[in-house]
Amino acid sequence: MSEIVDAWVRRLKGKLAPVGELTHWQRMVAAFELRRNDLDLVPVAPELDYWQITYAGYSHREIYNDVDKTTDACIRTWADLRTDAIWMYVDISHQIENFIPPEKRPHHFVHRGDKDYLLFKPLAKTIDEAIELYESRAYERYLEGSRAVTHYTPHMLQLLEFQEKMDRIVPVIVGIATPSNYAETLVEVQQFVRWTVTEPKKVKRYLDLALEERLAALDFYGEIARKHGLHFVCLFGGARTWGPRQLREFGYADEIFVQKAVKLFPYVFWHICGHNLPEAMQLLVQWDGIRAVQYDMPYYSQKLRWPEWCESVARLFAGKRCAMNSPTTQVACHGTAEDVRRMVRQFLEATLPHTTAVVMPGCEIDSYSPVENVRAMIEEARRTLLP
Amino acid sequence: MEKAERLQRLAQAVLEMDLEGVGPLVEEALAAGLAPAEILAEGLSAGMRRVGELFKSGEIFMPEVLVSCDVYYRGLEILRPLIRKAGCGATRGKMIIGTIHGDIHSVGKDVAVPVFQAAGYDVIDLGVDVADEKFVEAIREHEPDIVGLGTYMTSTFMHTRETVRAIAEAGLRDRVRIICGGPAVDPAAARRMGADDASDDAWEAVAKLDRLVEELRSARRSA
Repeated sequence: MSEIVDAWVRRLKGKLAPVGELTHWQRMVAAFELRRNDLDLVPVAPELDYWQITYAGYSHREIYNDVDKTTDACIRTWADLRTDAIWMYVDISHQIENFIPPEKRPHHFVHRGDKDYLLFKPLAKTIDEAIELYESRAYERYLEGSRAVTHYTPHMLQLLEFQEKMDRIVPVIVGIATPSNYAETLVEVQQFVRWTVTEPKKVKRYLDLALEERLAALDFYGEIARKHGLHFVCLFGGARTWGPRQLREFGYADEIFVQKAVKLFPYVFWHICGHNLPEAMQLLVQWDGIRAVQYDMPYYSQKLRWPEWCESVARLFAGKRCAMNSPTTQVACHGTAEDVRRMVRQFLEATLPHTTAVVMPGCEIDSYSPVENVRAMIEEARRTLLP
Repeated sequence: MEKAERLQRLAQAVLEMDLEGVGPLVEEALAAGLAPAEILAEGLSAGMRRVGELFKSGEIFMPEVLVSCDVYYRGLEILRPLIRKAGCGATRGKMIIGTIHGDIHSVGKDVAVPVFQAAGYDVIDLGVDVADEKFVEAIREHEPDIVGLGTYMTSTFMHTRETVRAIAEAGLRDRVRIICGGPAVDPAAARRMGADDASDDAWEAVAKLDRLVEELRSARRSA
């Protein structure tokens, strides 16, 4: 029971004007299940995690230790914009603080500004140190009192409580980091990818340990799904700069992780916001159970224009996956509202003839993105006629 | 062994990510009488140029590029003092580069620095999460032609405006050209924030550096 959730439920339940013929939940489900004929509108569900905090009038510092304000920001933003999903707020401290002894935590994270990402320092400088972090099971020893427990979980539970008390008119999306994401984040991606070339055996050991921890984490989320109605899960992939060799040699960890995740949650999608995408997309259509993919732009060197890229993904996904994209986070941040509209249009024109689509930039909306750009994204999705 | 073959082997060491082999190859080339500047330009740097071609054509990927950069550096470490001592270190321009404050990523910078060095630029790397004041101090100390701002997230790219403002407030804006680099950059947005250009491609950026240096020198001559 949460007072902030109950206050919002009292204010909103039964009082919201409908958006289209379906509920937000039904719309997302239809898109994920590739039921094109059942859709009334193109779903739009931008990843607003940081952005919604400042949109709702808070600073990042202000919500850092305040679960109620964090949840309030997410619901307030949704009530205003009526996107087709609510993304919970998440920051890097949720992910890695339980690897750090409590006395060292204050030195590990830096708030640079009210709208800036939380800056963090890597936890290990060598692959041996990284392996030791897992072998010593630091993440278990330091879990209690970490922000995963004090902020992330209660915030997630509040949003799921809202989802359930609102009779599932809108889904809450919870992000869960994959083994590759953890392995890269703990040591800084630039080190990790080097080691895939210079220390492949140790990288395999390291990834195996990350996988073990992540599989155990899925048990926790599975309980949340069973007891609190978690249905929509975004798996945050690392591997953003990997080449084919890395995907071949080390992709197994994420694949095993996915195999377990899709058994626990009905609507699983994959988030890949890096650039080596054509190769990764081929893998993602083979991994059973992923219903949708939130993807980004490919490397500039791959010489693909935006509409061509979107169309090539849509053709690959036809009958298999829902495509989630557009505009790029860069255009959402420093483009104009018309740039945003154009990019959304191009994505939908390229995608809808082949598969279902969700308007959702490949990564989180930056806090500096103008409100009018986010509104333009939503409006363009809402006015698109389905084929 | 012929000179051309030695240089070819050095380029190949960069391409094949031969971290252990590059040092001995550089030493052998020096012992054989090759000039340090020649070893750098026609051996190691030629290898880096080939790495760029293969990266752009999708035959190698970022992990390999990063290790090739490390190989290049390992060779360069041996050559740098010799080149300085020989006084043959004429460069196309001087540059300071750093990842902008609030950002700890360095994948792009780790590639850009050796690419720029291989192209003949004297590059001073200020590291990651570089405060605006540090850029200002570095401009005063090193008197570069170019300031490179590494910005690897959309939000940190937005800090370009503040860094440029700090440089302007220190009265140094006219002395340098400023270029942003990283996957999230956009040239038009960079210019709106007061920088001179931006690039998401280290190899393409070399041509932009050349143009900016030429513009700067031309402006200096006019002044």
